[in-house]
Amino acid sequence: MSAAGVVGMAAAVREGRATAAANVQLCLDRIAATDGRVNAFTSVLAERALKRAQAVDASPRRQRMKLAGVPFAVKNLFDVAGLPTLAGSKIEREAQPAARDALLVRRLEAEGAVLVGALNMDEYAYGFSTENTHYGATCNPHDLARISGGSSGGSAAAVAAGQVPLTLGSDTNGSIRVPASLCGTFGLKPTFGRLPRTGSYPFVASLDHLGPFARGAADLALAYDLMQGPDPQDPACAQRDIEPVAPLLERGAAGLRVAVLDGWFREMALPEALAAVNVVAQALGTTRLVELPEVARARAAAFLVTCAEGGALHLDDLRRRAEDFDPMTRDRFLANALVPAAWLVQAQRVRHWFARRVAQVFETVDVLIAPATPCTAPVIGTEWLEINGQRLPARASMGLLTQPISCVGLPVATVPLWGMNPAAPHLPIGVQLIAAPWREDRCLRAAAALEATGLCSAPVAALESGA
Amino acid sequence: MDYGAYIDAAAATLGLNLTQEQRKGVNLYFGLAASMAVLVQGLPLQPADESGNVFVPVAPQVPE
Repeated sequence: MSAAGVVGMAAAVREGRATAAANVQLCLDRIAATDGRVNAFTSVLAERALKRAQAVDASPRRQRMKLAGVPFAVKNLFDVAGLPTLAGSKIEREAQPAARDALLVRRLEAEGAVLVGALNMDEYAYGFSTENTHYGATCNPHDLARISGGSSGGSAAAVAAGQVPLTLGSDTNGSIRVPASLCGTFGLKPTFGRLPRTGSYPFVASLDHLGPFARGAADLALAYDLMQGPDPQDPACAQRDIEPVAPLLERGAAGLRVAVLDGWFREMALPEALAAVNVVAQALGTTRLVELPEVARARAAAFLVTCAEGGALHLDDLRRRAEDFDPMTRDRFLANALVPAAWLVQAQRVRHWFARRVAQVFETVDVLIAPATPCTAPVIGTEWLEINGQRLPARASMGLLTQPISCVGLPVATVPLWGMNPAAPHLPIGVQLIAAPWREDRCLRAAAALEATGLCSAPVAALESGA
Repeated sequence: MDYGAYIDAAAATLGLNLTQEQRKGVNLYFGLAASMAVLVQGLPLQPADESGNVFVPVAPQVPE
């Protein structure tokens, strides 16, 4: 069961070859057997999940449910009825329990999926490592001594560990793409404004995206299609009709104009990341290089918007109870609260400028290729990395290659490759497949084509006893 | 550049009482933000680049 994908699992339940209850029980068993070592889950909802699974099995709609009996879990910044929405914090333990599930949870469950739990993350989504002081580090299932990435580390690790076939996370500056890269899963960060964030705890409202993790492109596409559709409760959510992508995957990469991002995206990558990009470029039949202008300034813009909005959001708690923040985030939030308005406004203007220049590039390209992280997963506790001749803070540097892309809201599918680091061939690394706004179909078509070649895959970590 | 005076004034204005331990980290991270501000302020922009604080992804101007 742990190796089964979303599409196949749902088909088996629809056709009566499996039951939702059995699927959920197998997931609960796998979580019980492995999570003591991985630490992906902060809540396991066994009673709710089994009850829900029985309802799916008994439903007269079961044969039409597109996610019939598919267990899934969500980053703990998604509202789950009856639980306080932790967002990785100690402070929010005191919050009122959520009155209802987040909208995306409801949309998935309406199609027969079954929520089994909530997942670990960096506090308030501010980090790239999921070394959470309050709830412990989430370990990389492919090497337990290493980070899972973040901030949606639990979401990636749970899929990589075979605990659930589908999870949801959020991505403000790379928090889906970084853990997907380091844990070796597929991930989709849709266009900014595509999926409604209703019922999720914000980090940076003008940069926050939600999206799925899974073990294949078709699984991502199915879940993504079922979560689409506007919602007036999220003012940033675009009023766009549902544009299904799953039926388009069979087209593969045929006809797509593909190029590799040069400049910053090669300079800030270590050899394993460059090797992964080269493999993908060759498989997609391109040698073309393109360069985006002023990437460092775009990254700086995202950095400052994050500072200003994140700091302001938590100002009241920073005044009253700063010591209750995770030491990994506290001083950053305090500093961020002091960022002057002129820096924020200029950052938003730079972001706007950069979006226009990037749109010009997409007039002649359909998919851009770039590494998702500069390197494979560092050992937990790593403080510094050397990249491009510079000694850089390891945790923040995990987002160097994702932050300029989410800055302008582009859709990205992250695909995992293996064996790119000769010193650690057991570790995965992800490649970003980036498209123009609202063209998730192109990212996912390229991802599906790469998966079909066998170059990209998301095997379940063995996690043998004592591993 | 020393941002100490600004940090003191802004923290007091916002009602943030920084401890000595916090102050070290705040100095470090505010300095990092300041280095990012140098980058964004170094891009010459025109009035037409005003974002209006509303961001909408920009699609390419080519026929489908």
